[in-house]
Amino acid sequence: MATQHSRSAARLMISPAVILLLGWMLIPLALTLYFSFLRYNLLMPGTNPFVGLENYSYFLSDPAFTAAMVNTLLLVGGVLVITVVGGILLALLLDQDIWGQGVVRILVIAPFFVMPTVSALVWKNMFMNPVNGLFAHLAEFLGLSAFDFLSQAPLASIIGIVSWQWLPFATLILLTAMQSLDSEQLEAAEMDGAGPLSRFWFIMLPHLARAITVVVLIQTIFLLSVFAEILVTTNGGPGTASTNLTYLVYAESLLRFDVGTGSAGGVVAIILANIVAIFLMRMIGKNLDA
Amino acid sequence: MARAASPRRRAAISVLAWIVALLIFFPILWTVLTSFKTEAEAVADPPSFVAFDWTLENYFVVQERSDYFRHFWNSVVISIGSTIIGLAIAVPAAWAMAFVPGKQTKNVLMWMLSTKMLPPVGVLVPIYLIFRDVGLLDTRVGLVIVLTLINLPIIVWMLYTYFREIPGDILEAARMDGANLRSEVLYVLLPMALPGIASTFLLNVILAWNEAFWTLNLTAANSAPLTAFIASYSSPEGLFYAKLSAASTMAIAPILILGWFSQKQLVRGLTFGAVK
Amino acid sequence: MGRITLDKVTKSFGEVQVIPPLDLTIEDGEFVVFVGPSGCGKSTLLRLIAGLEDVTSGEIRIDGRNATETPPARRGLAMVFQSYALYPHMSVRKNIAFPLRMAGLEKAEQDRRVVEAAKVLNLTDYLDRRPGQLSGGQRQRVAIGRAIVREPAAFLFDEPLSNLDAALRVGMRLEISELHERLKTTMIYVTHDQVEAMTMADKIVVLRAGNIEQVGSPLDLYHTPRNLFVAGFIGSPKMNLINGNAAKQHGASTIGVRPEHLRIVPEGGLWTGTVGVSEHLGSDTFLHVHDTGLADVITVRAEGEVGLRHGDTIHLTPREDKVHRFDEQGGRVA
Repeated sequence: MATQHSRSAARLMISPAVILLLGWMLIPLALTLYFSFLRYNLLMPGTNPFVGLENYSYFLSDPAFTAAMVNTLLLVGGVLVITVVGGILLALLLDQDIWGQGVVRILVIAPFFVMPTVSALVWKNMFMNPVNGLFAHLAEFLGLSAFDFLSQAPLASIIGIVSWQWLPFATLILLTAMQSLDSEQLEAAEMDGAGPLSRFWFIMLPHLARAITVVVLIQTIFLLSVFAEILVTTNGGPGTASTNLTYLVYAESLLRFDVGTGSAGGVVAIILANIVAIFLMRMIGKNLDA
Repeated sequence: MARAASPRRRAAISVLAWIVALLIFFPILWTVLTSFKTEAEAVADPPSFVAFDWTLENYFVVQERSDYFRHFWNSVVISIGSTIIGLAIAVPAAWAMAFVPGKQTKNVLMWMLSTKMLPPVGVLVPIYLIFRDVGLLDTRVGLVIVLTLINLPIIVWMLYTYFREIPGDILEAARMDGANLRSEVLYVLLPMALPGIASTFLLNVILAWNEAFWTLNLTAANSAPLTAFIASYSSPEGLFYAKLSAASTMAIAPILILGWFSQKQLVRGLTFGAVK
Repeated sequence: MGRITLDKVTKSFGEVQVIPPLDLTIEDGEFVVFVGPSGCGKSTLLRLIAGLEDVTSGEIRIDGRNATETPPARRGLAMVFQSYALYPHMSVRKNIAFPLRMAGLEKAEQDRRVVEAAKVLNLTDYLDRRPGQLSGGQRQRVAIGRAIVREPAAFLFDEPLSNLDAALRVGMRLEISELHERLKTTMIYVTHDQVEAMTMADKIVVLRAGNIEQVGSPLDLYHTPRNLFVAGFIGSPKMNLINGNAAKQHGASTIGVRPEHLRIVPEGGLWTGTVGVSEHLGSDTFLHVHDTGLADVITVRAEGEVGLRHGDTIHLTPREDKVHRFDEQGGRVA
């Protein structure tokens, strides 16, 4: 019963959450924007003069920025391709009638619950280490020479680690979507003469389209901010070979203490994330009306 | 779900599924196994899977040398604390939006979600400086504040999707049956909303436990939770695999167990209700 | 007691007025059915009486007391919802006891009344189950049980049978009628199904777009529909409505003849047509007649079997005393 009284009570109940989030969003955002126009280095105390767009031109013209952008795109794109394709295949497999389905599901989902620092360290040391890692042992067993993953192919290695963490997420969501497909639709297609491949292509995939979009968008939001995995494994190196935008901003602000440039980088990261966010919000908003 | 397959086909698919699942799970399994080895056995070539001298020594050493339980306790306080505070703020908000929806409800919800899209690195510098100036750096209170705020949108959303599924009819029935507001909330709404609140709690504890951007950037020795504690293992040289494994196992075990319980709610929570 | 009076009641949602000023009196002990097509405002009207919606203007009196501002909990009414609205986390016993618990009755008295209601509704064996473990019909009975234990001034039913299958629906219809006979309590029943209305009601209220089109006993509505809308809505199969010359000959803009009031004659009837599909029910046959020049289809109800097949020519004559005449505005011509 929507009376005047209950409306004002509702407003009162919502306001703490709104005010807190508003503060959490606006204050730091405004400060980031403000700092990005200042020459502001924590190692050089004193006045922080207004320098206009200098930080931006410095940050954007830094070769490290170009490298970080490319790395960010490769990291996000690589992980997305691996997790979505792998997730579809895994979901198809898990959707079958198999022995011990519950246990299999639990095993597949497990990596998602491993904290990023643990997974990065385990992969770095126990698998990818060129001397004592399991991969090195395996290479030796096969008569090959050991490969130093993190110095020879740092970005690819990080893509591998992050994909391992996110594959369960994609699988779980795609599996959920798959199970919501009306089996009569598949049976109707079968009666209409569609083979397994056409059934997948014409019925299953269109049904999954929405879930795939959701996976892509949500993962993108998180993948743009990959940080711990890089910090723990390569520190962004060698050189800038595995530095992404998030790590670059961290390095500028908290390693080189250049608050101005770091803030300019932060603004760039916000703009980038917003482009993705707009699409994601639209999808979720549509769902809200349904 | 496919129709009952022939036994042979079912066997083949089952074997394939188990192989794939074990491969994906292997790094975790290997970590757990290694944690029971001696350091020498941990790097032995060829490695042994189960035929080694099982030992609990690593667990004691980790606790002794680096005070594991202090960090564990930090993780517990930070994740549970931020979740409880988050729920306290979010339950009334989600409740009001689900049961007294207004013209702005949808916009408020979408806006809350949009704050979640803000990349943390975009606000790292000001938060770091503010925390430094007010003395919140490397404190559990500081982390509880940050984690409460970054997860608040998810909590509100999850609760909202659960509350919205409670049919309005039932609340009206309670009113017709003579329930006043207090009884309506206590006997009808709360019992029906409790499962949703519980799974929101669970998922949020998991997210907070594993959060590794703010915990790494805002803590040092004092308030470091397990994420940051584990990261300190990234540099030491020499034989440390077994100890790293023991520390890792202890860091992920509690959450792995919680996670397995909450896998059904996970999808809904992480997709903001877009996939159920 | 349960005499309910609506006095110039209106309801608007924002700018849209869904109930224009409306007066209605429901006598104590009456079984009143609100019937009309979907969106006619019948459920809104019921919810106004229940107190689940606020009236925009006007007054609702229950047993002479002004109840317009009284919250639903204190109107002394009980409601059975379309979705049953059972509390999923409570056993059947607790569901039925809930209103008594809210009223602060003693535990022993609660138990006594629950057991009694369960006996009446054949729920004794299910008292400790949860609603989720019951069939649709059983849930319906629990919802009714929850309504009767508190001995309300009136029962409100909001399309209670629409989620049941056809066979159950007939059974429950009889049970509710039986309940009314026994309790003699006022019942207000909302449905879009005119068969339910005809079979259960003492008094039918036909609604369209928030307006009361006609109030009367089922047979009143059947024999003397006040306008074209009621004529077309009440009766199954529907009344044949005929315009044009045939109507003019009867001195009306439109005439209506019920299928059971058309006689098949061997030769020289008033109207002639071609037989289309015939529906054989055994006791009756419904013939759909085309090419009469009166309307697209004329439905004829014949007793037993008739020896006419698809494509045959048929001659029809209406029973003149049963022809309903309507003017250009759709009102009944006396």
